Amino acid sequence: MAGAPDGGTVLSEKMLAARFAEVVLPHLGDALSLARWLTGNQVDAEDVVQEACLKAHAGIAGFVGGNPRAWLLTIVRNASYTWMARNRPRSVIAVGDLADLDDVSPPPDNDADSPEAVLIAKANSAAVEAAIARLPQAFRETVVLRDINGLSYREIATMLGVPQGTVMSRLARARGLLMTELGGRHEPA
Amino acid sequence: MSPHENRPREDGLPQDPQDMKLMIHALVDGELDAAAALAVERRMAADPELAAEHARLVALRGALANVPRPAVSDDFLARIAVIAEVKDPEVAEATQAEDVRVEAQPSVPQQQQGQVIAMRPRASRWFNSFDWRQMAASIALTAFLASGATQWLTTADNGADSFAVAVANGHRRSLLAATPVDIVSSDRHTVKPWLDGRIGVSPAAPDMAKDGYALLGGRVEVIGDRPMPALVYRHHEHLITLVAAPRQNEAKSVPVADDLSAGGFLLVHWTDDAFSYWAISDAERPALDDFVARFRAAIIANPAAGSPG
Repeated sequence: MAGAPDGGTVLSEKMLAARFAEVVLPHLGDALSLARWLTGNQVDAEDVVQEACLKAHAGIAGFVGGNPRAWLLTIVRNASYTWMARNRPRSVIAVGDLADLDDVSPPPDNDADSPEAVLIAKANSAAVEAAIARLPQAFRETVVLRDINGLSYREIATMLGVPQGTVMSRLARARGLLMTELGGRHEPA
Repeated sequence: MSPHENRPREDGLPQDPQDMKLMIHALVDGELDAAAALAVERRMAADPELAAEHARLVALRGALANVPRPAVSDDFLARIAVIAEVKDPEVAEATQAEDVRVEAQPSVPQQQQGQVIAMRPRASRWFNSFDWRQMAASIALTAFLASGATQWLTTADNGADSFAVAVANGHRRSLLAATPVDIVSSDRHTVKPWLDGRIGVSPAAPDMAKDGYALLGGRVEVIGDRPMPALVYRHHEHLITLVAAPRQNEAKSVPVADDLSAGGFLLVHWTDDAFSYWAISDAERPALDDFVARFRAAIIANPAAGSPG
């Protein structure tokens, strides 16, 4: 019971605190962004990130380099879904069951000329946020990890445990939906 | 939907229009190597529909970049910083055991419920369950973290390691700051004189945008009481800080790049006649190595740009 939980390397608490400060604290903004988009609001996001940071601290000795942001965000994502399952069981869709999502027909790309691009670029951030919030979960997390958290395809594929091609098609689908929404019927939000 | 009657093309890109669209996304995301990017750009030039998709994606990217990010409030930072606080041994052990159990069985609800309830009411719980010494310690720790742990870490480590840690801290601070550079310019003819004017030294600052490493600008780092020039490059989503310490006489030469890591970042260290260089980034190792190789090649190709001031 009194054994070290860190499997071998026993770092002093001071070292762990320093490591935590270096690996976790710089990426809190990203962690909050991701949790905010997965849970749907800022207050829940803070609770989720706090929970994730507890786990990150417990597991900090296991961080072996690589991208600390991707490492922390993986923990935040898991914590988000655990939190959602506990607090909002009805809103969680089975993450493995995406066959129906893949049937969603791709958005039409009618006019090749780009007044659409202009509309998209002009969309106010409230409209963009609303559009992101309306995305199906699997698409939303992919586009947030890429365009808001700035992870690479490979990092996202590792985190989600799916092939890189799946990441690419979800990303394209997510962006397609956003572009249709923001570029097509652009209503003041 | 009948498949397009394209003849197979020579550019190695997918024939399927849907797949070709993914390549446009990959181009916008900076996920393509130079050869593939070139091939995609050629296809775009020939196909207005692809070009329009590209324009929409770039627009969407801009729109997403403008979505406000949640701010990390001081209150929240304090909540998180207290996690790493050095607790008294019994509490620490109990918490760690708890965390490990939670990690091992993430689907046990009651256990975690208890944990969350304990966390929710912030301020009042703090006062109930922590005594004033812990409060004071946590406040002190927060202040300490906020001011950067450089000092403490420098004294804890020896020479090169502590320098690496200081470089890492500088890089991290720059990522947190409003802007990672003090002088914004992709033109070395602007960056060099600025650094010269500030601290009297400036390294070569080649713009390597064509290689995928765009010069963003420069800033001054202060490491161990000495101001040093730092260049900042961008590679896709990653920033690379290159600190150039004017070489001391006694410093050992490191002609071969030395791979290190500090503070969760990767570092490459090497020394030439004039400077001791430290390149640091959260990019992947191959990208950082590639950057270093190209930077060194660029300096050798144009040594005049690299004379110390």
